[in-house]
Amino acid sequence: MTEITRRTALGAALAIPAAAAMARTAFAADPVEIDLFFPVPVQGKLADKMKELIDRFNGQHTDIKATAVYTGSYDDTNLKTRAAIKAGKPPAAVIMSANFVREYVINGDVDPFDPIIEKDGKTPAAFFDNFWPALKPNAVIDGKVYGIPYQNSTPLMYYAVDAFKDAGLDPEKPPETWADWVEAAKKLTKPGGDRWGINFPGTYDYCGWLTSAFVMQNGGQYYNHDYGGEVYYNAPSTLGALTLVDTLVNKAKVMPPGVSDANACTSAFFAGRLGMMLLSTGSLSFVRDNMKAPYKVAFLPKSVRNAAPIGGASLILPKGNTPERQAAAWTLISWLISPEIAGEWSRFTGYFAPRKAAYDLPDMQKFLADHPDAKIALDQLKFAVPWFDTFNTVAVRKAMEDQVQAIFSGKIAPADACAAAQKAADELLRPYVEQTALKVVG
Amino acid sequence: MRADGRLWALIAASATALMWAVPFAWMAVASLRPGVPPDIASLTPSGPFGLSNFAEAWTSGSFPLWYLNTLLMCGGILAVQLVTISMAGYAFARLDFPGRDLVFALFLLQLLLIPPLLIVPNLATLVSLHLYDTLPGIMAPYFASAFGVFLMRQNFRAIPKDFEEAAMLDGAGVPVLIRHVLLPLARPGLVAFAIVSVTAHWNEFLWPLMAVSSPKNQVLTVGLASFTSGAEAGSAWGVVAAGTFFVAAPLLILFLVFQRRFISSFVYSGIK
Repeated sequence: MTEITRRTALGAALAIPAAAAMARTAFAADPVEIDLFFPVPVQGKLADKMKELIDRFNGQHTDIKATAVYTGSYDDTNLKTRAAIKAGKPPAAVIMSANFVREYVINGDVDPFDPIIEKDGKTPAAFFDNFWPALKPNAVIDGKVYGIPYQNSTPLMYYAVDAFKDAGLDPEKPPETWADWVEAAKKLTKPGGDRWGINFPGTYDYCGWLTSAFVMQNGGQYYNHDYGGEVYYNAPSTLGALTLVDTLVNKAKVMPPGVSDANACTSAFFAGRLGMMLLSTGSLSFVRDNMKAPYKVAFLPKSVRNAAPIGGASLILPKGNTPERQAAAWTLISWLISPEIAGEWSRFTGYFAPRKAAYDLPDMQKFLADHPDAKIALDQLKFAVPWFDTFNTVAVRKAMEDQVQAIFSGKIAPADACAAAQKAADELLRPYVEQTALKVVG
Repeated sequence: MRADGRLWALIAASATALMWAVPFAWMAVASLRPGVPPDIASLTPSGPFGLSNFAEAWTSGSFPLWYLNTLLMCGGILAVQLVTISMAGYAFARLDFPGRDLVFALFLLQLLLIPPLLIVPNLATLVSLHLYDTLPGIMAPYFASAFGVFLMRQNFRAIPKDFEEAAMLDGAGVPVLIRHVLLPLARPGLVAFAIVSVTAHWNEFLWPLMAVSSPKNQVLTVGLASFTSGAEAGSAWGVVAAGTFFVAAPLLILFLVFQRRFISSFVYSGIK
């Protein structure tokens, strides 16, 4: 054992200076070095694709050396970015979950894009007209551009053609309203769990996303889109949405009880044991690659109106970078959101391209013609609504999710769930509200 | 009666072992199933089986680099730790200095802090030492181990003083004493600590993710995370299982080979 110890000690003694030397040479090079933090929310192949894009960027821009840094899930990326900013080593740019941007603004940890956009000779408003309008509330905060949309999604309804035929439904006419939806789900459900009519993920994040979709379909706002201190968890539109969930699971019994995750939904869907599922448009490639039987996609059903909340990620500029690094980061960001690259990333990932012009390119036109499901996902964008973002986003989101999960398990009535969620959320929002809306002026 | 007690103990131990083994069994089964089978949760599927997941996992990550970095990280941490815990353990066990017990208590207090609390202060220290985004930077916060110091102190105290007195009569100084008398006698403690240390750092995710950014400094756990899917899509569980296998395999093999020595070390050192 002493032998081994001696050897490892020697190995480490040799390795430490070597690693340190490697790190030092990395800083000695001439071009401006920038790092881009990016999460991989879907699959490992995306990390390789991102690396390939960055290599291409570096090849075309000899004055900049960009490195793509894989930083785990959206939540890990958030954590690492915060820690790096606090420690005085902010990354040059980050692909950040779009609903966290507001908190960075509230905490003063990001710089607005406005000055760099103006330097390019554009007004920020004109610049943002390049993107789908529904992306604006999560990116333009207090009148300034803090986020540049990069990869976005909305929920989408996927349904199995064979199950529809088997249940006597017309696969060409998917349900359009909540009432049609529940009816179709009843017909699709077979006793004993052989086939469920409908399912969607009830895990954290997904749960809040879909709940906000139902509330907004029901005519509601769900939260104050302009001010991070208010949520409308106890409004009639929310009560109606939670009653719909309660009906699906506990009254009509067309949806499996308990909390399902995305994998449970896709596995059952691929195996023919699920008629309809609500899942992100970001899953289109995955479903397309793995579903053997025919399937189709459709808009989310509506109540008062159609509504599909935005999801995905935006590029942000963390505070504390030198002007040189920020300028280089802007060059990288402009390149990443150019219609060609944005379109390529969209085709590879299944996310839609936030840049409208990407869809005018021949490659993209051909892709949409070949993939009608992607076309429907894009068409639904006209009903897109913003993504839940408040002060302390995750905790406030969970205040509602915990209640909805209790409904999935049949443990609480919708009205009680609304009241409990509102109470918990108000508690969490209080510190911010007291510093802003309730601040005494005098 | 006694036979009865042993039977129950055996049943309880087997049940625990089974619970522990199921995830491993599933990982092994799932890693052998190509594609996205609908009954992926099954422990006894009917096939088809193949090795394509391993090939896909291996090619979509830089495993050789990640292995090297992880080995350097674990080895570097352990090498420094063995020196620091032996010396500090000796000081607390044998030397008499004012405030010894107070300092020792402060040392132990550190065990109560949850590591995420220290992320930002530790990062700030790394930045000022110019160790941010380097392998030594990942290792630095672990160079001193409160647990290891405690363990070595207990081990040294259990050794009769006669050995040291005999060596000192022969003219041995403190360094020789530690190196040639105490450490060989405390070997089970060192081995037990080495196992705990290496497993902990091999499996650690959050701190390496925070301390290192460049792909060339990435370790296994952070690399593996790029396989596991996140919020939006379903995941290719077979590939995830194969990647997990690559990460877990070295420790599993080490354990199987040195099983007997590991267990006896734990028994001697009193860690359970």
